[in-house]
Amino acid sequence: MKAKRNARNAKGATAKKAVRRVPAAGRRVIRSTKRLLRKVQEIPLQETHVAEAKFYTGPATSSYQRPAVTPVEQRELPQGYDEDVLVVQVRDPLWTHVYWDLRFKTWDECRARYNADFEKARWTLRAYDISFIKFDGTNAHRFFDTAIDVAARNWYMNLGAPGTSWCLDLGFILPDGRFVTIVRSNVVSLPLDGPSWMTDEEWMIPDDAFRRLYGMSVGLGPNVSSPVGRLWQERLKRDVSSGAVTSRVSSPVGKKAERPSFWLVVDAELIVYGATEPDAAVSVQGKPIRLRKDGTFTLRTALPDGKQEIPVVARSAKIDETRTITPIVTRRTTRTP
Amino acid sequence: MTKGYLCMVLHGHLPYVRHPEHEDFLEEDWLYEAITETYIPLIAMFERLSADNVPFRMTISVTPTLASMLTDGLLQDRYAHHINKLIELAHKEVERTRWMPAFQRLAVMYLGLFTQARDLFERYHRNLITAFKRFQDEGCLEIITCAATHGYFPLMDVTKDSVRAQVRVATDHYARLFGRRPNGIWLPECGYQPGDDVILKEAGLKYFFTDAHGVLHATPRPKYGVFAPVYCKSGVACFGRDMESSKQVWSSVEGYPGDYYYREFYRDVGFDLDFEYVRPYVHPDGIRINTGIKYYRITGPGDHKEPYDPDAAREKAAAHAGNFMFNREKQIEYLYELLGRRPIVVSPYDAELFGHWWFEGPQWLEFLIRKIAYDQKTVRLVTPPEYLAENPRNQVVTPSMSSWGWKGYSEVWLQGTNDWIYRHLHKASRVMSDLARQHPSVEGVKRRALNQALRELLLAQSSDWAFIMATGTHVPYAHKRTKEHLLRFFRLAEEVQRDQIDGSFLSEVESKDNIFADIDYRVHQ
Repeated sequence: MKAKRNARNAKGATAKKAVRRVPAAGRRVIRSTKRLLRKVQEIPLQETHVAEAKFYTGPATSSYQRPAVTPVEQRELPQGYDEDVLVVQVRDPLWTHVYWDLRFKTWDECRARYNADFEKARWTLRAYDISFIKFDGTNAHRFFDTAIDVAARNWYMNLGAPGTSWCLDLGFILPDGRFVTIVRSNVVSLPLDGPSWMTDEEWMIPDDAFRRLYGMSVGLGPNVSSPVGRLWQERLKRDVSSGAVTSRVSSPVGKKAERPSFWLVVDAELIVYGATEPDAAVSVQGKPIRLRKDGTFTLRTALPDGKQEIPVVARSAKIDETRTITPIVTRRTTRTP
Repeated sequence: MTKGYLCMVLHGHLPYVRHPEHEDFLEEDWLYEAITETYIPLIAMFERLSADNVPFRMTISVTPTLASMLTDGLLQDRYAHHINKLIELAHKEVERTRWMPAFQRLAVMYLGLFTQARDLFERYHRNLITAFKRFQDEGCLEIITCAATHGYFPLMDVTKDSVRAQVRVATDHYARLFGRRPNGIWLPECGYQPGDDVILKEAGLKYFFTDAHGVLHATPRPKYGVFAPVYCKSGVACFGRDMESSKQVWSSVEGYPGDYYYREFYRDVGFDLDFEYVRPYVHPDGIRINTGIKYYRITGPGDHKEPYDPDAAREKAAAHAGNFMFNREKQIEYLYELLGRRPIVVSPYDAELFGHWWFEGPQWLEFLIRKIAYDQKTVRLVTPPEYLAENPRNQVVTPSMSSWGWKGYSEVWLQGTNDWIYRHLHKASRVMSDLARQHPSVEGVKRRALNQALRELLLAQSSDWAFIMATGTHVPYAHKRTKEHLLRFFRLAEEVQRDQIDGSFLSEVESKDNIFADIDYRVHQ
């Protein structure tokens, strides 16, 4: 009993593992989605990338990663708020994310009521298709069950039907087959993944003309041959494949150029410094240079390959005299291999 | 003859990052870089266009968080310090590169840009909002608002009170800054959830934007695709994004910013030069960061980079602007025939794309605006209110839930890296609604505590934190901000409920999270 309660409070790591346990039908979808996801995460879309560049201060770490600068907040948010809650959120036309929490009291009440049956009950999410109706708990068009690990506290669920509306129950199935609802979710509507089939009389448009317009609207041009419903999928595909090119091109649109695994960069700079009377006028290679209050000066320059003659001329402010000193510097760089 | 309209929309946004408790805070650089590289170049462009009497129309969102930072005294002073340091570094660079003329001309260019940036900043008394306001008052700019802290609406569907608060706080904030109510709103991440238009309507907003499929997948089918706005049943207009014009700028294949003559974003002297030399200009803890001085052009694939050539890049920007205009002319001529009415092409971009990331972006935009004004007659720049005034009759539909994020829906903000935040955000939102209901009118310290609780909730709701968690840079900071604001919220909520308010804690968080001085907690219900 204790173990169960602990499991309920399992931390994120367990939760993640549990989420992977998905009914067989969904598994293949997840796998292919994951592959796609991986592919795309390496090569994020341009939009994401620009927005990301906004937060790019260089490959430095955040200030927060260095406790010396900012003491990391020690307090953590609670695991839950001891309430019965089940919330569904739409991720895309097929998938939803579900999270839940149960009160300790609810847990104890169930155990008291169903005794040994409760320990054998299978925790389940029951999804009701309630498209275009007012749901009273009994009138759903259909429902399906998904076995879950209640300790996971969240689940990604493929509802698989764009344009439909759903409501979920979190509960358990007793050994005799009865389903006990513990908490009911909000209602969600999945967006369409293509154009609506509904048209209105006043604003009719022939299918062919709409197809052209659709192709142009999603940036595929007017001469596309796919049926309208598939054009959106094509836009997604195209975006992904254009991203694939990005990863190989070093451009602001692409990622930063990858360095080879071993590399070396060398450059050289030259520091010329000296001192004279604080009120003297000093020039380096004919260009005046500002003196510090004590009459010292420093010039730091990049030093490219080649020979540099650097005449430093000081002219006194008091008497008509100049001094010239000319360092001559040669840089020659060789490389092997 | 005008055959159609082009509606250019820039979305200017940064999350609220302000840390008075630290002398130098890395994430504040997001603002300073965007000021120098994007906002000031855009304002300078508006000034030139205005001085030359070039007619233009542009729509720009300045999010309430960005506007708050631009008007914050502490951040203004810190920016002044930041730009002065940059000018100092640029002076040193001019000296350092004396034997490398290809680089020295660039150092001189940066010195000029930074000096102009400082001059412009001081000319507007360090308040760039007054600059944007000036061009709105002149009738060229249509400034729109956004959700208070850029909260992503589709994932607030179970807590609509928060959507309402995000909208109401934003529109009130806008009215105080710009002296009038906003006409339109940029929905954060273009995230639209059917029904949210009713909340926009309540706040007096007349239009918003969605990604292409928000309109294309509307019910019933939109007769004109994205080339005419639609009305929601609430009467609020919705403009759909045109993908063709978007991809010319965004796409890695056809997109302009990847041109080899354009400046390379990822090579910066902050990383390229000797550590001791750049040390005074990077983070005081000795962490190298971008300074904004970048000497190379994209050049090609691979590591080898050639020095940047501003003249060649400028010519490219002009050519790309010409190409963009030509394509819009062709597109609009074709659509005019197909639709039998004047199409509108809506092209929204992240404002920070221009200048910060695509260095030549502001030049491209200026070339485009001038060319459209003088070199053709087919296309006219338009703002949404102007379009609606001229074309009031539009189809009524229900747009589809959508966003402009990766894959078009909510996956960026709802995935394994960030899905844990929603149970806390939703809980806090429910608690806030209860508090507002239970305290219809309170004064004094309790009122301050309730107002601060709402500030903390709004700050926790910024979509930026979930976005950063998903993309993987600065993740600890995003975790920190989410938790910190929620913890402060729950503590304040508990103190209000127990009627035991810790005044020193309240003062402390009021001074740290000082956004929206005039907030009223009662909007959250």
